This record gives sequence, C-alpha cells and structure tokens, in this order.
Amino acid sequence: MPTPLDLIKKKRAEAVSRIIGKGYLSTKRVYVGMATCEIAAGSKDVMEVFQKAISLGLTDVYLSQKGCAGRCNLEPTVEVIESGKSPVKYGKVDKDRAMQIIERHLKNGQVIQEWVID
Amino acid sequence: MATTYGIIVCDGTPCINSGARTLTSALQEQLDKHGLHDKAAIHLSGCLGMCDKGPIVVVNPGYTIYGHVTEADIPEIIEEHLVHGRPVARLAIQEDHLYNRFFRVFGDAKFFGKQMRITLRNCGIIDPENIDDYLSLRGYEALAKAVTDLTPAQVVAEVETSGLRGRGGAGFPTGLKWKFAAAQKATPKHVICNADEGDPGAFMDRSAIEGDPHTVVEGMAIGGYAVGASKGIVYIRAEYPLAIKRITKAIKDARAHGLLGDNILGSDFSFDIEIRLGAGAFVCGEETALIHSIEGARGMPRPRPPYPSVKGLFGQPTLINNVETWANIPVIILDGANWFRTVGTETSKGTKVFALAGKVVNTGLIEVPMGTTLREIVYDVGGGIPDGKKFKAVQTGGPSGGCLPEEYLDTPIDYDSLARAGSIMGSGGMIVIDEDSCMVDIAKFFLEFTQNESCGKCTPCREGTKRMLEILTRITEGKGQAGDIEKLERLGDTIRKASLCGLGQSAPNPVLSTIKNFRAEYEEHIHEKRCRARACTNLVTYQITEKCVGCGACRRVCPVGAITGAAKKPHVIDQDKCVKCGMCFNTCKFDAIVKV
Repeated sequence: MPTPLDLIKKKRAEAVSRIIGKGYLSTKRVYVGMATCEIAAGSKDVMEVFQKAISLGLTDVYLSQKGCAGRCNLEPTVEVIESGKSPVKYGKVDKDRAMQIIERHLKNGQVIQEWVID
Repeated sequence: MATTYGIIVCDGTPCINSGARTLTSALQEQLDKHGLHDKAAIHLSGCLGMCDKGPIVVVNPGYTIYGHVTEADIPEIIEEHLVHGRPVARLAIQEDHLYNRFFRVFGDAKFFGKQMRITLRNCGIIDPENIDDYLSLRGYEALAKAVTDLTPAQVVAEVETSGLRGRGGAGFPTGLKWKFAAAQKATPKHVICNADEGDPGAFMDRSAIEGDPHTVVEGMAIGGYAVGASKGIVYIRAEYPLAIKRITKAIKDARAHGLLGDNILGSDFSFDIEIRLGAGAFVCGEETALIHSIEGARGMPRPRPPYPSVKGLFGQPTLINNVETWANIPVIILDGANWFRTVGTETSKGTKVFALAGKVVNTGLIEVPMGTTLREIVYDVGGGIPDGKKFKAVQTGGPSGGCLPEEYLDTPIDYDSLARAGSIMGSGGMIVIDEDSCMVDIAKFFLEFTQNESCGKCTPCREGTKRMLEILTRITEGKGQAGDIEKLERLGDTIRKASLCGLGQSAPNPVLSTIKNFRAEYEEHIHEKRCRARACTNLVTYQITEKCVGCGACRRVCPVGAITGAAKKPHVIDQDKCVKCGMCFNTCKFDAIVKV
C-alpha cells in the first residue's frame, strides 16, 4: 500500500502536469499581483487587459495571478518570465502600461526599461 | 514523451564572477548538439543565495542543484541528466531548501538582497487560488512526511529543536507550547490559527494568507497531528475579505485532495479546519479573548494560567499560534530543525516578516533573517528616507512597541535585543519616522488606539490609558504642566505592571519609550510651548514672510478672514483670528508662508 509520502509525490506529479497542460511551458509567463493592496492599486483592470488580449488571440502566454511580493509603493506589479532571460518586473502598471507591455514586450520581445523595477 | 526540462543558471554577481555567464552558451551548444532545444529551456535567475558554491545550475523538474559548475561539466550534465534522466551525483549539492524558490522574485536585488523568505517563500510566486501551484512546490509534503515517518512526539521535538518562537509578538517558544498541548490527556483538543491582525499599519498576516493560504493550512494540520487534535479553527477578522475567500478555497481544495478530512492521505490521522470571523476588536488578538470570542462570549481576556494549551477553547486543550508561526512549520519539518537553527541569532531563530511603512523609499512587505540590523532594514531594504529628510526614529511593535532613535539603528533584530533597547518585536509593524513627525504626537496616536480598543475589564488599562491620553492631549495643545512627564511615567509603570493582558501591559510602551529617547521634545512642548517638528497644530503659528508678492491667493482661501493686505503688497495674518487650518500654507505658490 502506498504511504502518504508516496501519495503526495504522485499528487505533485499530477499537479505539475496539470499546470503544464494549462500552458506553463509557453515562452512567456505573465504574473499579475492580486493581493488586496494590489487590487486597491488597480490590478484587476490590468488583469482584465491581459485576459482580453489572450481571448482576442494573444498566444504562447501563460497568465496567472500571484500574491503580494512586497513592493507596496510600486503596485500594481506585473512580472514577465521568458525562457532564457532574467525575469522582468514592471511597477505601477495601469491599463495603458499593460497594453504597451502586450504590444512591445509580449509581441515584440522588447523590454520596456523605464518601468522595470530594479 | 521525453520530460521537458527547465535549466536555471544563477545570474547573481558572485556567480557571474566565478564564471556563470560562459555556462549559458555552453549549455545552449550542448542542447543543440543533442537536439534538445525544444525539450529544455534555459532561464537566468537572480541570486539563489548559495554564493559560496557558485556557479550554480539548477535542473527542473526535480530541482536538482549543481554547484561549482565549470564549462567542462556541461556536456556531462546534459548527456546524463537530460538525455538519460540520471542526475549527476558528483556535482549535485544538497541545498534544496524551500526558501530558495523565492529566487525568481530576487530579480530586484537591491530590495531583496538582504531578505530571506521562509514564511513568505511562495508569496508573490504562486497562484494562491490554485492548489496545483502549491503542490508543485512540495506542498503538503511536510504533512505527508510527518504522518508517514514521524511520530507526533517526534514532530513536537522537531519544532522544539528548531528554536521557533511565537511570531505574534510575545515570542514564547513554540515547541514548548506544542509540548504542553501534546501532554494533555483530555480530548478533544483544538488547534487555532490567530489571524486577528490588528496593529495599525501591519498587514503581514493578511498578505501571507492572501499569497499562500495552503502553507497555513498545512502547518495547522501538522500541529493537529503533533498534539492529537482533529479540529482546527482559523480566527480571521472580517475586514480581510480576500484573505477569507482564499483560505476558504484552500481548505475546500485540500479537502477535495484528501489533505484534510478523515484519514488524510490514507493514514489514521483525521483533521479538518473551519473559519471563524472576528468583528475586528484589537483585544481579540489576545489568545484568551480570542477563545472567548469563538465560544460566542464577549471578547475579553482572562487571567492565565491556566494557559490555553491546558484549558482553552470550550475548556479543552488548545494549541493556538499566529499565522506566521504556522507558516514556518512545513519548512521546519521538510528542511529540518537543524537547518532552521542555522538561520538567525542565538536566542531567535529563523526569519521575521515586517510590514515596512512610513517615511522610507521602499515601503513593503519584507522578510529578513533574525539578527539583521535596523539600519540594514531602513537603508538597504527600505532604501533610506525620501526627499533628503533626516531619520528620526523607527517604531516597531505597533501600539505595543516603542520608538528607537538613531543610536539604536545597529541593534540586531531579535526578541531580546529589541526588548533591551526598550521596544518589542511585536507582530511585525515597522514604521520609519523622519524629522517632520512629532514624537509626542506619535505616542498620542498609538495611545489613542489602545485606549479605544481597551476592553474595559481591568481598571489599570481602562482608567489608566484614559488619564495618560488626557495628559498627552494637554501637552500637544500647549497646556502641558510641570510634572506631566513624571505623571506619565508613574501611570505608565502602574498600567504595565497591573493590567490583566498584553494589551494593557504594553499600552504605555509608545509613551514610555518616547519619553526615554525623546524627553527633550516633551520638555519643549511643556515649558516652551514649542513643537520642533511643527506637527502639533496648537503650537504652530503661520506667518507671512517678505517673499509675499501680494497675489491674494491666501486671503481668498482663508476660511475665517484672518489674512489682510492690498493687491501686490505683502499680506498679514491676524493671529487672533487664525484657526491654523493650514489652507494658506498649502495654497501659497511662493513659499512665502512659514510655520513657526
């Protein structure tokens, strides 16, 4: 009979394959901060922009929410993780910046340096 | 289908210095050679915190960490690990600590460089509403390990060895609490998570639950196993709707996966958790008041002993810990108490989360190892004071804590050194104060809070804080009398010694610590009727200087008509009429109005 430890390892493997099934291995992963503080700063609008772009045909992007990363004064934050590159975190993202991140970074691979949190 | 691999190369400065940058191209070359370029992706990460073993290469899935990797090792890693699925034991290092996973966020090196994330390890990394994200990062493995390999007594011993102390503020050794609860014969026993965070300016528990609710659930289940409880309660304030939503979902998802409920993961251990909402009374963060509140009684503390671990909820043995304490438990079980002990100071192990706020460039939620100095937090993590202002004090511990001036900046953060310095660790509020704030006013603000929140059960707290507040108000209004400081000290000392619970015992701290460290400011208020920070309205007068061009803007906004003057001629404020609202000061475009 499998031990609880065996079972949890199986569950982990299943969880990993479910996440991959949702497109985790896309070339770009986008995380939008969605804690109370981020939402108060307007991250729901930002999330909607990304969701809409994907529903309108933006491909090869894995979109997820995340909790507080601790950057209170720079919220809402959006993180873009791309294969083979250092993660990029954008601060004070509003609807307009989100749209530009989609156009310039996600579609054309161009990091928008002036909004990057260093 | 062959496994798809993710290869992480640490791109922190020490690793770059030891040659990490050349590895990336070597890796790419080897991937191409084996035709693996669509089965593996290379990522660069910020510092992984294993600088002494750099350059570091990590292969996922599996999180195999290779240390001291040279270009010559790359063909072997690719050939053995990626082609044949056999990790290269020669190069692998055993540093698979959960906290390392935070590396992804470590990109912002300035802010995160001095931090170490144990309790917040998944916060800001995973989707808190997706249990798969948590499971994929070894979620619930600590619980499985506990019920598979460890007896309840061994779990208690592990927590005791770890040296973990209660993160709610008082710093009581967690292992001891567990030991007392486990030793009780009476059943049923209960487990409670205290998420009734109430300090003004503190949001650690809210963020922790919102960012990673499963950690708390898992920690509580391990606690239940250790002390022999089958029921857990999360007591969380109703003002945290998103945190409530996320932990409720976490509990539901955990149940669906057989991680809560009867016979967890096929074992004999059964445990479930329910949520109770608090109405937001500050005193309900005190454990006995919290228990009364869950029982449906008025949220008031009672004298201890008996402690809740002996007689708690409904008179039964109850293990009650703070959110942050619970979040440490899975890491201690998985990475081991001996590893946990290596982090921190002699008397305080592990890390502490702070809500860094006030006059600091980077406000935020931070987690630093115990022993980090206040200076490192304010200047390195926090980025210093904005607008070139001067640092005045740092307030720790919220309304129960104290204000520490510049000479204490090199105090290492741990329970004991903060207490020696005249403040407390508290639950983790940290407010940086600059020269524009008046210390008497700040003491008054905190005392006003505790005075409002005093439950009224015991006289020292109910009456004493009221009298102290009256004196402070008098001082800030310019009606201070000789002897007021001594009166405050005497009252404060009595309240500290005679109050029933922690709320009253610590309520005078902001006043006493500011008197100790900023006595001159109190004396100026009382004897010279002067507030050096110009924050106490009644002690400030507004005056128009020769810079005035006579534009008339101040005259038009003054609500009481105290400003007179002809057009293009300097204006004058009639001090008898002035109500000190500050409208003129805020309106003047020529900096011609000053506060004196």
